[in-house]
Amino acid sequence: MANDALALSEIDAFYGDSHVLHDVSLRLGDGRLLGLLGRNGAGKSSSMHVAVGLLPPRRGAVTVYGRQVTGRAPEAIAALGVALVPQGRRVFKSLTVRENLAVAGRRPRGGLPMLWTLETVATLFPRLRERGKQIAGSLSGGEQQMLAIGRALMSNPRVLLMDEPSEGLAPQIVAEVMSTIRRLKAEGLSIVLVEQNAKLVADVADDIVILNSGRVVVEGSAADLRRRGIDLRQHLGIY
Amino acid sequence: MDMSLTLVLAVNSLTLGGLLFLLSAGFSLIFGLMKIPNLTHGSFFMLGGYVAASLIGWGVDFWSAALLSGLLVAAFGGIVERLILRRLAGAELAQVLVTLGLSFMVADVCLTVWTGDPIRIDTPSALRGATSVLGVAFPAYRLAISVIAVLFAAALWALLDQTRLGAMIRAGVDDPAMARVVGIRVSRLFTLVFCLGAWLAGFAGVIGGPILSVYPGLDQEMLPLALVVVILGGSGSLLGSLVGSFIVGFLYNFGQALFPELAYVVLFLPMLVVLVLRPQGLFGRQAG
Ligand SMILES: Nc1ncnc2c1ncn2[C@@H]1O[C@H](COP(=O)(O)OP(=O)(O)O)[C@@H](O)[C@H]1O
Ligand SMILES: [Mg+2]
Repeated sequence: MANDALALSEIDAFYGDSHVLHDVSLRLGDGRLLGLLGRNGAGKSSSMHVAVGLLPPRRGAVTVYGRQVTGRAPEAIAALGVALVPQGRRVFKSLTVRENLAVAGRRPRGGLPMLWTLETVATLFPRLRERGKQIAGSLSGGEQQMLAIGRALMSNPRVLLMDEPSEGLAPQIVAEVMSTIRRLKAEGLSIVLVEQNAKLVADVADDIVILNSGRVVVEGSAADLRRRGIDLRQHLGIY
Repeated sequence: MDMSLTLVLAVNSLTLGGLLFLLSAGFSLIFGLMKIPNLTHGSFFMLGGYVAASLIGWGVDFWSAALLSGLLVAAFGGIVERLILRRLAGAELAQVLVTLGLSFMVADVCLTVWTGDPIRIDTPSALRGATSVLGVAFPAYRLAISVIAVLFAAALWALLDQTRLGAMIRAGVDDPAMARVVGIRVSRLFTLVFCLGAWLAGFAGVIGGPILSVYPGLDQEMLPLALVVVILGGSGSLLGSLVGSFIVGFLYNFGQALFPELAYVVLFLPMLVVLVLRPQGLFGRQAG
């Protein structure tokens, strides 16, 4: 649909000869939060890499607000307002915290007010302000996650993709990250939240897709799945 | 060795050090940031000198010729990077062979255009003669070269370390894929870095002209010196290039004066020692 913030349609993607996504379709509605679940190796990160242009699909289409971006360069897709908080955070380790944020800074599209700046990101994550001059590689895992989120916000995106933001973090930090996600959602951002932990997603997601071995095996609105009595955890092999 | 000879050698060392910095800073950036061992770098130096000699012959003044010649060399470097090296990303052996081959081609073309005779570039008039520092007379132009090198070192450091553009370049080195996802045009920035390196080499060739002249083989004489500098100082480190350049400047001049038959041993032995004991160079970051 044209008002989808992001859509992958019938995607087939490969790493060399290895076929990792089979006919995958995902739709992220405007202002909604899509929970993307699946166990390790299911193809969640690959789907995100297709969305941001890092893994050009061999078949299928990617659209951002109705605009075809299939096969376009990552920097071009970023300019359309898609930002990624990658798995493993991938902050620029030799840059300072401030530089990590500054290099990603970009005005929002269409003359909208500048929501996210060094100042507002530092207000969201006061820890980043304190550590502004520190080299990003020396931050703790939780701080790096905040930096990765802040860096994504600096581009003033319309679509935010978060790949396992809770991975490897202490429960208290996970709670902090989840409350940030809620807040961003309330501000109208369209979000894909990739997780292995179904519980985290069930609370915040409007829609849910479960991948298994590179295929979509479950999809629907969260309410719908609850009504149908589908146990997410069963599909994830986590008990 | 008497005092005045020592002084002359010291000044010559500073001069050569300054030239080597301008030459090797570009080599070091290109190698440190883009991982391209650019063996045409000596050709950029020589080409800069030749082009400027012609420009000056047509009536352009020295400093304009230096800037302009640098720009032409930068444009040439940009074409080489985009059309050829870009396609060989990650293939270091191919890059070595291609850039070496190109350097021979440039040498041939220069020989055809500028003949085999050395061409002198006149010292800019304002810097002819000597300046007196603490009562000792020094050739003004030679001192100016070291001053220019130090100023360029400061400017390059500010550009790379203190600006957003510099941070974007470093982000592109840290994680090129993620930098692109963040919206940084990494490929364009790397072309810019390559052009900047080529510009510096071309510019160095011009300002080296009044001292070295320009002649066939200058390229292959300068390249190994730049290699030694970068290995001593550590690739990608500007401070390393600066210190390495002056070390090599001194080793070269004093080595040739004191042990003329062992000049190359004096020059290359420290490089071997550093390679074996501290492969990342004196100021280089530990790999990985
Ligand atoms: N760079 C890569 N090269 C080759 N295979 C890869 C690469 N990245 C992931 N894969 C493979 O693709 C499949 C999907 O991986 P991924 O998308 O990372 O899964 P998830 O994020 O759901 O854990 C896995 O089988 C994985 O081994
Ligand atoms: Mg993953």
